[in-house]
Amino acid sequence: MPDSKEPKADFSDVEGGSSSTAPSAGQTYTVVPGDSLSKIAKRFYGDAKEWKRIYEANKDAIDNPDLIYPGQTFTIPGA
Amino acid sequence: MMQFRRIVSTAALGLLVIGMPACKKKEAPAPSADAAAPAPVPAFEVGTIEVGKAVGADKRVTSTGTTFGRRDTIYVSVATEGVAPSKTIAAKWTFQDGQVVDEESRSIAPNGPEVTEFHITKPSRWPAGKYKVEIAVDGATAGSKDFEIK
Repeated sequence: MPDSKEPKADFSDVEGGSSSTAPSAGQTYTVVPGDSLSKIAKRFYGDAKEWKRIYEANKDAIDNPDLIYPGQTFTIPGA
Repeated sequence: MMQFRRIVSTAALGLLVIGMPACKKKEAPAPSADAAAPAPVPAFEVGTIEVGKAVGADKRVTSTGTTFGRRDTIYVSVATEGVAPSKTIAAKWTFQDGQVVDEESRSIAPNGPEVTEFHITKPSRWPAGKYKVEIAVDGATAGSKDFEIK
C-alpha cells in the first residue's frame, strides 16, 4: 500500500509585511515557528542587528533573547 | 380713576406682550449650545477585503484575483471606516492543511476611511494548493478570503 502521506509544505522562508494609510498606534507582531528576534528585526527594520530594539521593548516577556516561542506577541518599537 | 386704572392695566398688558418675545430671545441661546456639542464619532467597521498581486499608493489591491503563480507576492487590503484611538488588525495566512503560513498584526489609529495592506512572499516558490487569509480586528474575525496558488 503506497504511503499517501505527503511531506509537510515548508513555509519557513515566508516573508511578510504590512502598511497602512492610517497612522500607527504602535505595532505588534506574533511569533510564528522558525522566528528569532534577528529574523523579526530583519522583517521590520531591514537589519537583523536591530534585534536588541525589540528585546529591550519586550524584556518583560523575553527571559532569554535566544528563546522565543510561537504565539508570543511583541511590541515593535518605531517600525 | 376708573379710566386711570384702565390705562394702567392696558399699559401693563402691553408691556407683558412686548416682554414675551424678549423672554423667548433669552431662551434662544440654548439650541446653539446643543449645536456646539461634538458630532458623534463614526463607529469603526471593516469594509471591503480584497486579495491581489499588487497594491497602489492608496494601499488598495489594484487588480483583485483568487489565483496566483508560485512566485507571486500576495496582498490583502482591508478597507476600514470610522475613528478609534487604537485598533489592531491582524492577518493570518493558512495553507490547505491548516499550517500557518504567516501571521502579522498592525495597530492603527484610524481617523476616517483607511486602508491597511498585508503581504507575503516566498523566495523559494509557494507550494501549490489552496490558501486562506483571515482578517481579525482586536481578536474578532472580520472576514476572510480564499485563494489558490497553481
